[in-house]
Amino acid sequence: MLLLTTTRDALLSPLQSVSGVVEKRHTLPILSNVLIEKRGQELTLLATDIEIQIKTTAQGDGGEDIALTVGARKLQDILRALPDGTPISLSLDDKRLTLKAGKSRFQLQTLPATDYPRLAPPAAEALRFSIPQGAFKRQLALVQFAMAQQDIRYYLNGLLLVATAGELRMVATDGHRLAYASSKIEAELPKTEVILPRKTVLELARQLADNDDPMEVAIVGSQVVFRFGTIELISKLIDGKFPDYERVIPQHHPKLLALDRATVLAALQRAAILSNEKFRGVRLVLADGSLKIISSNAEQEEAQEELEIDYTGEGLDIGFNVTYLLDVLNNVTAETVEWRFNDNNSSALVTLPGNTQFKYVVMPMRI
Amino acid sequence: MSAIHRLSDLLINQIAAGEVVERPASVLKEVLENALDAGARAIEVHLEEGGVRRLKVSDDGDGMGPEDLPLAIERHATSKIATLDDLEQVATLGFRGEALAAIAAVSRLRVTSRAHGAPQAWSISSDRRDVAPAALNHGTVVDVADLYFNTPARRKFLKSESTEFAHCADVFRRTALVRHAVGFQLTHNGRVVHRLPPADPRRRVAALLGDEFLAEARELDTQAGAVRLWGLAALPAHAKANRDSQFFFVNGRFVRDKLLAHAAREAYADVLHGSRHPAYVLFLQTDPAAVDVNVHPAKTEVRFREARAIHQFVFHALNRCLADPTAGVLPTEEVAASIREAPTTPFHATVDSSRWAAPSRQTPLLMESANRAYFDFVAPSPQLADGSSAPPPPPAHEADDTPPLGFALAQLHGVYILAQNSAGLVLVDMHAAHERILYERLKTVLDGDPTIQRLLIPAVLALGPADFAAAEEHAPVLQQLGFDTAPIGPQEIIVRSVPALLGDAPIADLVRSLLGELREFPASQVVTARRNELLATMACHGAVRAHRRLTLPEMNALLRDMERCDRIDQCNHGRPTWRAMSLQELDRLFLRGQ
Repeated sequence: MLLLTTTRDALLSPLQSVSGVVEKRHTLPILSNVLIEKRGQELTLLATDIEIQIKTTAQGDGGEDIALTVGARKLQDILRALPDGTPISLSLDDKRLTLKAGKSRFQLQTLPATDYPRLAPPAAEALRFSIPQGAFKRQLALVQFAMAQQDIRYYLNGLLLVATAGELRMVATDGHRLAYASSKIEAELPKTEVILPRKTVLELARQLADNDDPMEVAIVGSQVVFRFGTIELISKLIDGKFPDYERVIPQHHPKLLALDRATVLAALQRAAILSNEKFRGVRLVLADGSLKIISSNAEQEEAQEELEIDYTGEGLDIGFNVTYLLDVLNNVTAETVEWRFNDNNSSALVTLPGNTQFKYVVMPMRI
Repeated sequence: MSAIHRLSDLLINQIAAGEVVERPASVLKEVLENALDAGARAIEVHLEEGGVRRLKVSDDGDGMGPEDLPLAIERHATSKIATLDDLEQVATLGFRGEALAAIAAVSRLRVTSRAHGAPQAWSISSDRRDVAPAALNHGTVVDVADLYFNTPARRKFLKSESTEFAHCADVFRRTALVRHAVGFQLTHNGRVVHRLPPADPRRRVAALLGDEFLAEARELDTQAGAVRLWGLAALPAHAKANRDSQFFFVNGRFVRDKLLAHAAREAYADVLHGSRHPAYVLFLQTDPAAVDVNVHPAKTEVRFREARAIHQFVFHALNRCLADPTAGVLPTEEVAASIREAPTTPFHATVDSSRWAAPSRQTPLLMESANRAYFDFVAPSPQLADGSSAPPPPPAHEADDTPPLGFALAQLHGVYILAQNSAGLVLVDMHAAHERILYERLKTVLDGDPTIQRLLIPAVLALGPADFAAAEEHAPVLQQLGFDTAPIGPQEIIVRSVPALLGDAPIADLVRSLLGELREFPASQVVTARRNELLATMACHGAVRAHRRLTLPEMNALLRDMERCDRIDQCNHGRPTWRAMSLQELDRLFLRGQ
């Protein structure tokens, strides 16, 4: 029974956009499969790990209507290994999917589509707004690196999305540092706070295009739906209380210095080489007109960098995990960054000049 | 008739017997302790059917007169203490005055005794309870027959004869281990199991635990103020699968104490594989007033007044003893031989514990001079650097100058280093050895004040009442370890900083296990242990892998590093890093000179 005739690329690219959520290891075998569905001319591919579901549609010619699931990774690996533009055909014989491409022939086992777990798109969409894909992607990039990874405080393994009147805020923290970014949106929304799971955030960052095409966001109950291009991404939300980010962001740090981003980034990268490989501490020593960056490691090797800066005031000797500093400098694009300090026990604040929409807070380390 | 009435003396004693006389082994323990408290120099133990049928202990101690005998088997009658002051600094093994009475209540007991200089012996039995003249040369004979004959319920709990005998033998061994100056003999069903003449401690240990244990164990003797710890600690490579070879004595009393076992376990933690148990025979001597032995009738638990200090003392003493590099120890063969050949000490010789520091069995290390000799020797051969000329032969003829681990000869299958020292052949697992060297180096660097990461989002922990109390009490200790904590509610604490090295670890788990341990034991190694796990992984990744070709200078450098490194005998996972084969052993392998 012939199901579909198409080319390698016409099937591979939609497959690649959904296969990212398929987990490598599963106790539930069907979750390593992708759902392939065809109704008339419309071909739908869908993958899920029960927390996130990605669906994409493409053009599908010939053959009959189908609904089946097949191993996502294997199918993708086969398609990738075929030459560009190879015509392929899919057919089903006795529960086995046969893929033919020229003189190559592959038979894959299938599992019934009716057994495939699906997240139903929420019926009533309580909160809905639209934002350009590129803007959302850039805003994600400003904060997503600060998300926690496998923290037992599960609500930190994600990104807080706050929608308020005309404004969309994103916050991420791993308990040691926090990144905050906001942007304007054209929608008058009631204040809503949701936590997107880490995997959803990474998947969005991967899939969104850097252009002004609109993305539609709808939040209802414990789910969120993103629709952009041919993709529909449904994700469960993390149910938890995110820390009060506003209290964490310091308001009155007296010591301010403006630094050229590229210069301080390069200096920190050099100093990082000789920092302790496990906890990566560097000391920043601030004095009139000078900022020293000092690091040393277990072998007593030492690095020292000195930057000339425009600063007068009280001195300061403060330690940081250099990774946290490099992260922020690598992810912002401005030419200049502003750092604010209080004393060596309190947090430091990184902002961009003339921009109140981005804030990064990092806690010091006592070395 | 009133509902409450007094119990009969027999019943009271039988109830007490439930605690004191659990099985034949506990009878043996009580009777042996009495014999020792009476100053016996030779003790004979006869057992029949695992001690159930008959258990007879004869000693040559002070003995008792006819007027003492009836009291001896009375409850709460003793000669060992008289006032509360005596109890607080009790120096005898027994003192509760209830053992013989309890034994008498559950068996057919006969005590025969002749006091020093008395014209004749007297005897009393539990069923008749009147003193009758008897024949005995000196000392006391306690004869316990048909244990539990009148309490059949108890009898059902007894295990097989061989199990009960094994328990008795354990008691016998513990007693004999600590009283090395007393002669002991154990007979079971007419067969002599142990015959131990008075000996010095080392020989007594060898007689009971085997020459092997002695050869593989390290001696220690440390004193701090009134507290002294001495004995033998087996090297980690000879750890056992169970705890049977752990003997801890406090003031001459065998104890199974959690605090001391924990301290010992911690001391071994860094060199021992997780599932293995260290073997040791350790004696702790302290002021009797500083330790409370009256915790449990069986007296295997004790309480220290200065628990924290004792824990730290034991931990550091053992740790130090295990840390010293052993490179250069004579081949074990010779040690064992020297023990076997040593003349036996005459019976009844008094040997005090100071003889522990017996003949040194370690060859002088002379590391510094050896190293200098070695470097002087390599330095003037610059052609080595380009590898164009063959390396000079190792100076085997200068036996005195050979460093303990010798000079490298070759690499075997990219895994082992073959080296030659003055005694013979040394085999080194290069990955394991290098791993340990890196690990020790990392630890040295990180000892001292920890680097601390302050938390932006402090962690709040709900604790149970015991943990909460521990958190308040030990806040300074926590602070020192890098955890800045403060109570913020009746059962909640807030953690504001963590050690930077463990910044990614689950804070709540870490603090909870830390508090759990601080509650049980006065000092905690949880954080150090976690840190060391991390360092061990780093060291493992940093160490040379198998199949890396090493040149001779590289191998020699590794051997010299090993000689300087603490705890080098085991890798981080407790596997041995090097082995030696003496020329004699090699000769035997080839049947040379036989």
